[in-house]
Amino acid sequence: MPKMTIAEALRQAIREEMHRDARVFCLGEDIGIEGGFGGAFTVTLGLSQEFGHQRILDTPISEAAIAGLAIGAAVAGMRPIADVQYGDFLFNMMDQLANEAAKLRYMSGGTLSVPMVMRAPIGATARGAQHAQSLEAFFTHIPGIKVACPATAYDAKGLLKSAVRDENPVILFEHKLLYGSKGPRSEKGAVSPVGEVPEEDYLVPFGQGVIRRPGGDVTIVANLLMLYRSLSAAETLAGKGIQAEVIDPRSLVPLDKELILSSVRKTGRLVIVEEDNLSGGWGAEIAAIVADEAFMWLDAPIKRVAAPDVPPPFAPVLEREYVPNEGKIINTVLSLF
Amino acid sequence: MPVDILVPPLSQTLDTLVLVEWLKKVGDPVQKGEPLFTVETDKATLEVEAPADGVLASVHAQAGDEIQIRGVIGHIQEPGKPGAPEEFPALGEVTSSDELADLDETKVLEELKDPQDLKGPRIFASPRARQLAFKKGLALKELDGCGTGPQGMIVEKDVRAYLEQNKPRATPLAQRMAQEAGLDLTTVPPSQQGERIRKADVAATLAGANMHSQAPTASSPTGPEDKMVGGAAGKGVPLSPTRKTIATRMTQSHQTSAPVTYMSEADATRLVKLRKNVLKEIGQVETRPTLTDFIIRITAHVLKKHPQLNATFDGSFLDISQAIHIGLAVDTERGLLVPVLPDTGQMGLLQIADMRSRLVQKALSGGLKPEEMSGGTFTLSNLGKLGIDHFTPIINPPQVAILGVGRLREASAVRKGKARKRYSLGLSVTCDHRVIDGAPAARFLGDICRLVEEPHLFWL
Repeated sequence: MPKMTIAEALRQAIREEMHRDARVFCLGEDIGIEGGFGGAFTVTLGLSQEFGHQRILDTPISEAAIAGLAIGAAVAGMRPIADVQYGDFLFNMMDQLANEAAKLRYMSGGTLSVPMVMRAPIGATARGAQHAQSLEAFFTHIPGIKVACPATAYDAKGLLKSAVRDENPVILFEHKLLYGSKGPRSEKGAVSPVGEVPEEDYLVPFGQGVIRRPGGDVTIVANLLMLYRSLSAAETLAGKGIQAEVIDPRSLVPLDKELILSSVRKTGRLVIVEEDNLSGGWGAEIAAIVADEAFMWLDAPIKRVAAPDVPPPFAPVLEREYVPNEGKIINTVLSLF
Repeated sequence: MPVDILVPPLSQTLDTLVLVEWLKKVGDPVQKGEPLFTVETDKATLEVEAPADGVLASVHAQAGDEIQIRGVIGHIQEPGKPGAPEEFPALGEVTSSDELADLDETKVLEELKDPQDLKGPRIFASPRARQLAFKKGLALKELDGCGTGPQGMIVEKDVRAYLEQNKPRATPLAQRMAQEAGLDLTTVPPSQQGERIRKADVAATLAGANMHSQAPTASSPTGPEDKMVGGAAGKGVPLSPTRKTIATRMTQSHQTSAPVTYMSEADATRLVKLRKNVLKEIGQVETRPTLTDFIIRITAHVLKKHPQLNATFDGSFLDISQAIHIGLAVDTERGLLVPVLPDTGQMGLLQIADMRSRLVQKALSGGLKPEEMSGGTFTLSNLGKLGIDHFTPIINPPQVAILGVGRLREASAVRKGKARKRYSLGLSVTCDHRVIDGAPAARFLGDICRLVEEPHLFWL
């Protein structure tokens, strides 16, 4: 089975979907331009040669235009995959996403649907406050939008394919440090979750989390980059006699809450790790669900490890302090024992 | 919203019940339908089930308190539902001034206090630890100060460690015996310190408990708050709810009534003969009427003529019952139980025998329902099988009289100058002299004796 990075797996998913279904097309800034990177992070590299500029559509630098075009195309029966370049730019599209994309199917009683995908790179990578945010929580709060976060190459391909085939708008949050540590756009400090990706067609369904590491003493829920930091913290904790169970929710909307609840019923402790600012995050939502539905199983307070409530700093020293790291996760877990 | 814990209307005669004990503590999780507290009615001690899932949030009555029927004695906080804000009127809602006028300020202040504040410092334990301790019947107080969790909180591990440390070690046979007898192994002292609990130790504890349950309870000053009585080995044995009820009721009976016992001796020869003839006549039936059944039948008959003995008395009002419901005292492993034969006055002998047999079986097997022990208007106690000739039974309050039946024994009687073998039966009746004077009591017993001696008069 071929091994590939998340960027390569996403590219393969797009290619397969575009071959499978003529309605699928990509749009975004600099995604197909000759001599370019294939979008900001190489995901669409080479696809314009294969499918032409009609289906790998370079847009003006206007996120509002991208959102409007994608929504309109989706309503008209196409299957757009929009490249958001930096997730932070989703704010430019916010009215169209929150008021149109998320609500058209509901308001039209199902007559219209908006089967579109927004691929949004996120995460702090020394680019300052406007190119570094983690934005999942903004969208988990809007009914009508699905939110997925692939942390492995296998999931990247499977989740993107599920997103393309879904009748609802899906935002796929991709972490900039997980695209791969090699290649023209590799990031400093990137981890490279190179994994086996089946060549055949497969889907990773939404709403199915996965236990990345089993353990009986504490449950850690983490997505994207935080998943890898949590796994590494779990390794260190195992040396201290604490077996952490690390859960990757894979999609936040819908959320596999049963997986989390059953794990907490087993371990009695819960730590949620997210890269976003602490207040009002999706971690808070999971904490509330567990406090509500598994309160009697808790043996310690629920803890969240998240970025402090400040914008992502530009200075690398500050950014290292800002983004939750292995040490913070370990200390938080230890505080529960 | 917190769910009210209401006192169910379990008594036909009383407005208040006595709270025997809470089976949960404040802060304990409770599940709808599981026993939450026990109350004592005038008839029995009953367990009352929790009305909802949640956590026992507050209690307003303590063990031993008299509690009003349909009154609220506590609250259950349903899981995941915030309580405090909903306990107060929502904005715009106005509490009527009448309600405010009725508020007793000291009561309100008491209710606002965390009940735990009154009993010492709050014990911090994780929900998981609380749940486990609750399941194992362990009081968190035992673990106070032993918490190893965050900020000294008691966590699951601490409860498990405590349970492991305090686990009584017993042989498998001893474990099985204790389980079958419903005995908590922690109450069994091993014969040698540090040794495992053996069969003999369990047997000794059970024997000690039995000895005490058969001891005369009326002389014991035990109230519901006294949970232990001395055992054979000097080891305390916790009183079962049934035993506690008996203790309370017998004390109540002796302290509040004015019992006088009247004794007589009846020649039961003809009744014995009648029974033989009846048995011959009816042949093989499922339940053969015993002498007790005959006496129940006779008593029901005689009570119709002496209705003032078929009554209940609450200290001010004598409630003479139209129907006759005779209770029968039954000696069981758990102590004295009094199942009631409903409408005994309407029953024939065979019906009485069937019903008596069924109720006694249920009493012995522990299957009696509370309603099968309630509503009695008169009680009959037969110690004849145990070799007692005469005794002074204690009135089963709020009833006013009880008939004691002694041993049927052979005796010789001189009739017309000849000694003949007769059957003699000791009978006694205890009446509450507050409402039944000596003469009517004597007339009642006289009529019973007359029907025992001349059963054919039954038809008059």
